Amino acid sequence: MFNPNRWREISPYLDQALTLADEERTVWLESLRAWDPELAVHLEALLHDHRVLIQRRFLEEQPSMSRPSGLTGQTIGAYTLVSEIGHGGMGSVWLAERSDGRFERQVAIKFLRIALAGRSGEERFKREGCILGKLSHPHIAELIDAGVSSGGQPYLVLEYIEGEHIDRYCDHRALGIEARVRLFLDVLAAVIHAHSNLIVHRDIKPSNVLVGNGGRVKLLDFGIAKLLEEGAEGEAATRLTVENERPMTPEYAAPEQLRGAAVTTGTDIYSLGVLLYVLLTGQHPAGTGPHSHADLVKSIVDTDPALPSETIAAMGAETEASILNAAKRGTSKERLSRALRGDLDTIVAKALKKNPEERYTSVGALADDLRRYLLNEPISARPDTMAYRAAKFVCRNRTAVALATVAALATGAGAIATTIQARTARLQRDFALHQLLRREAVNEFNEFLLSDAAPSGKPLTIDELLGRAERVLARQHLTDETNRVELLVSIGDQYSTQDDDAKARHVLEEAYKLSRTLPGQSIRAQASCALAGALARDGELTRAEALFQQGLRELPTESQFALDRILCLRRGSEVAQERGDSQDGIARIVEAQKILKKSPFDSDVQELRVSMELAEAYRMAGQNQQAASTFEHAAKSLSSLGRDDTQTAVVLFNDWALALDRLGRPREAQKLFLRAIDISRAGETDESVSPVLLNNYAKTLRQLGHLNDAVRYGERAYTKARSVDNQLAISQSLYVRALIYIDQHDFGRATAMLGELEPRLRRNLPSGSYWFGALESARALLAERRGDVRTALQLADRAVHTTEAAVKSGSQGLDFLPIALLRRSIVRFETGERDEAASDARRALNLFQPGGQKRIYSAYTGQAYLALGRALQAQGKDDQAEAAFQSATEHLQHTLGDDHPDTRSARILAASVQLR
Amino acid sequence: MDSVISTLIGAAEQGDSTAADALFTALYSELRRLAQRQLARHGGPPSLSATTLLHQAYIDMAESSGPSFPDRSRFIGYAARVMRGLIIDHARRQRAQKRGGLFEITLLATDPGDNSIDDRELVAISDALDELAKVDASLAELVDLKFFCGFSFAEIAAMRNVSERTVQRSWEKARIFLHCSIRPDLSV
Repeated sequence: MFNPNRWREISPYLDQALTLADEERTVWLESLRAWDPELAVHLEALLHDHRVLIQRRFLEEQPSMSRPSGLTGQTIGAYTLVSEIGHGGMGSVWLAERSDGRFERQVAIKFLRIALAGRSGEERFKREGCILGKLSHPHIAELIDAGVSSGGQPYLVLEYIEGEHIDRYCDHRALGIEARVRLFLDVLAAVIHAHSNLIVHRDIKPSNVLVGNGGRVKLLDFGIAKLLEEGAEGEAATRLTVENERPMTPEYAAPEQLRGAAVTTGTDIYSLGVLLYVLLTGQHPAGTGPHSHADLVKSIVDTDPALPSETIAAMGAETEASILNAAKRGTSKERLSRALRGDLDTIVAKALKKNPEERYTSVGALADDLRRYLLNEPISARPDTMAYRAAKFVCRNRTAVALATVAALATGAGAIATTIQARTARLQRDFALHQLLRREAVNEFNEFLLSDAAPSGKPLTIDELLGRAERVLARQHLTDETNRVELLVSIGDQYSTQDDDAKARHVLEEAYKLSRTLPGQSIRAQASCALAGALARDGELTRAEALFQQGLRELPTESQFALDRILCLRRGSEVAQERGDSQDGIARIVEAQKILKKSPFDSDVQELRVSMELAEAYRMAGQNQQAASTFEHAAKSLSSLGRDDTQTAVVLFNDWALALDRLGRPREAQKLFLRAIDISRAGETDESVSPVLLNNYAKTLRQLGHLNDAVRYGERAYTKARSVDNQLAISQSLYVRALIYIDQHDFGRATAMLGELEPRLRRNLPSGSYWFGALESARALLAERRGDVRTALQLADRAVHTTEAAVKSGSQGLDFLPIALLRRSIVRFETGERDEAASDARRALNLFQPGGQKRIYSAYTGQAYLALGRALQAQGKDDQAEAAFQSATEHLQHTLGDDHPDTRSARILAASVQLR
Repeated sequence: MDSVISTLIGAAEQGDSTAADALFTALYSELRRLAQRQLARHGGPPSLSATTLLHQAYIDMAESSGPSFPDRSRFIGYAARVMRGLIIDHARRQRAQKRGGLFEITLLATDPGDNSIDDRELVAISDALDELAKVDASLAELVDLKFFCGFSFAEIAAMRNVSERTVQRSWEKARIFLHCSIRPDLSV
């Protein structure tokens, strides 16, 4: 006990010390020591104790008054409460027995201190409890029931487990490293099972991993952290009850959890990494000694932990703690450090990566490495290895591929639309595949693709990788046919990403055939809908639609099938878009979005993906306004997820920019393209940037009149497209470069570009394609600039007819039509056909700005007004001309800026009409 | 009854120690009555939040006793100490009833083995708090409010009309005092 006088004396110094930061405090103590050494020693002891009590969380948990045992005997559902066996911040836990006497069973009933928002909250709680209850595994404590008492208190009925925390169990028995790893593998088996059921634990820590006397591991509280978080949100929203805030224990939290970013299976991998670290070293990765809450958070988010072997080596040789720590592992400090060095260091480090994408892609992969370690085989993880580089490679190329297909949709001044639609949606799905981690087998397969398949570190083409994977799969006797179908579907998806539709289709047909022999509703629907997507791309639209409908029909409406239903609807949206029914395409994605929002699997990451696809569907349908605002929304959630600099962001910014470009807002588009390029560049050269992205950027630069930069990027795009042999990107960059050269009056080069483009188009496209209209239109522009207005007129005419015919026949080209009209209007103005010039300009204007969107500024609208004004002026209709020039000025100022040549022309013309 | 409490608070504030004792007893029985009512209510929560209970008590008493009743902050200042007594007594009873056994079941985000305070420690803390009250009554009251009654720093800062930082610093000091006190090897 303190001597009161001593306390009064020391108290003001404590006040002072507690306001100082750690470093300041040391200095301050030193100066204090100089004149009162005794006081300094006391203070030091107290401050040391302060650090200890912080680590112990002393007094942080409020004691609570529980229902007195006199009330024991209450019934909850089919159970009678026997006695309280624990309580804490989250509520209390009771031992209970079945009361209907049918069979004897002891259970634990956990009363949760959360407030559920009304009936819907209760139903959601029960529903999610029901999903968690389906987890059945020998190493997972069973959740028997979830309910809400008559008084509104939510509770969980759990398997009653007797056991010790895993770390204490290991220490008490002085288990060696191998025995610890073996025990840990049981933990992994449980987590693998849960992940394959789409349940993330979110709160793995020693106190949730119990080991019974027989050495049997049991994981507690799977997925319950999520239930509680949701409950807590409801509570915050209503503020009806004043209860304890949930004490945050960040020791085992992953960086993304502390940052409030999305929680995925990778989050559990991280927590497992911390657990393994603690089991192996007896220390937390953040280092020894007590941490304040803030220091711990900072360390988890920012600081790479010391390798386990280093941690052991750094412990003082003769300290009691160090000797004890090794003894608990049945060895000496030196031997322990040696045992950890190498493989275990590497495995732990990989699980503890700050960036979830750099961790093991699945718990299964982590388990495999630990098994390999036990068998003395080489592990897959390497510090900064081939596998790592190969993963980077695939990642980069996937982006390139994604953008290549995005390119197909490029529109705008250079108006390249395409014969291939609806690709981006599919590509984004593949990006998302990693987030979602649908099934362990698929993840292990991906892991294989990313590591083992590229042993030399030499970049294999993705095609080679997939071919290899397919052969491996054919040789493997997968005991579970369901897994086999999953893998085939995954390979098929990857082939689709490569635009290798024939191979994709072949593999998916096989998956479908195999799935017919299986009873699982989920796998049947997956196979059927995946094939639907592939068939649609191949033009077999009727069968595609039938398969999609079949897949949807086979799926029960229960929420555990929500993900499959969403997946089917997304493929169905592709089918509809491929068929040209863009409204149906939108409707299906909207439906998927609705299901997602209601489903227990709802997460920011998934909502982001679906909203990106919705935006893309809008863009496909030509509803660029909706597309742009949906992209904007998606970009916000991307940002809040902390994924601003990921490959997903590259695709998002690119697609969003395309929509803006199409709306005639090139300045905004330019910024987004540039951001996408910067992200792709990632400290390297342009080498890693997709040619399509470079080309899109060049096109926007041209529109803004930055011709020198435009040429540079256009040429880079072309070179890059050649080097990666991307045919579509080659064609597109030829077209864009031609337009830029025309603007630069470099007619020779422009002619050469178009000359190279034409045979490529003839080879690859049906004769009715509007692309030929675009080619003719570019040639018309070239002739007009050269002063050959006769030829220009003929070409401009043909361009309009070709495009109109393409639109009429139901293929694409509607986006390009106003541009063809605008160019013809300009040529007709030159040839003196004033009325026709005016009528072309009016038609273009109506197409650019359908029905009363006058308030939305667009460069295209501005340019059409400019052409219209000129024609009207030539017709002598000065008043109307002046109004047109003024509209042109307004639109162009807002979209191209004051200094753009078009803006200046419009302003000068408006002024000159007034002067007359 | 409630006007009695009101009068007792007045007298206690004048330094009447008999009144202070009587006030404690009166509040104790009132809070106890409320707690039992809550716990006994069919389907009521198996554990009670002290904060809720105090709010409830204040509302009950202030309503029936009219404008002369002290303001909420003052009332809670007194009641928090009483609350501690209630919790400690409860803990003592629980300890007497609790069955032994080696099992452990964990609570989410808590770890009874490490974090939650056992009943013996709780009693020790309460004794140390009585000592602290003799040296620094305000620090002791802070512990009653924060630890035993579950008020947040912000609420306490508002009650005392000081900054949250000040409350936090005092809290750390109080924790040091108590932690050292219940670990004799560290006593100054």
